[in-house]
Amino acid sequence: MKNQLRTLRTARDWSQGDLADKLGVSRQTVNAIETEKYDPSLPLAFKIARLFRQPIEVIFEAGE
Amino acid sequence: MEKPNTFESIRPLSGQYSCITDLRLNAWLGVATLFYLAGVALVKFNPGLSPLAKALLTLTPLLPGLLYLRTCLRFIRGMDELQRRIQMEAWLFSALGTLIISTIVNTLNANGVTLGDLQHGLSLWGTFALAFALWLVGVAVANCRYK
Repeated sequence: MKNQLRTLRTARDWSQGDLADKLGVSRQTVNAIETEKYDPSLPLAFKIARLFRQPIEVIFEAGE
Repeated sequence: MEKPNTFESIRPLSGQYSCITDLRLNAWLGVATLFYLAGVALVKFNPGLSPLAKALLTLTPLLPGLLYLRTCLRFIRGMDELQRRIQMEAWLFSALGTLIISTIVNTLNANGVTLGDLQHGLSLWGTFALAFALWLVGVAVANCRYK
């Protein structure tokens, strides 16, 4: 699944660790989502959407 | 927000290692090992013990073992979703690998082919060591996959 997490994070000048702390996950999880190696669960995706105040479909886009 | 548990916090030399977390997680494993060693010594040096006493002494590590299992489950529940997935994959790999290797050893033994000193199959410690080694491999593979 494609996502805009890295773009949104860097726009706020947050490190992966900062974002991980805000989401209550490990830095490895943030990195795995950004590199699109791991798709977050629905609750975590909603948490990300709430944190960035963006609709979930703006951040995550289903791949082919 | 509370930080999730991570495997790095219990892996020495990871840079995030926490002795307190490690102790908190593995204390019951230490107790189980002590109970096991004490039980073995008592059975060995008291040959006159009744079979029931021997059985009780031999099985005493089970209680701290169960408490250790509970601590492990709580630790895994405290992990975030990716870490939990990595652990589940590693445990599954470890359990299935141990099952398959034990079956191979036993099947070979049943057909008269003995691998080294394994004429009676894997020992208790051999099984634990194999499961632990496979779990480490599983964690390493999963970590590489999600790196």
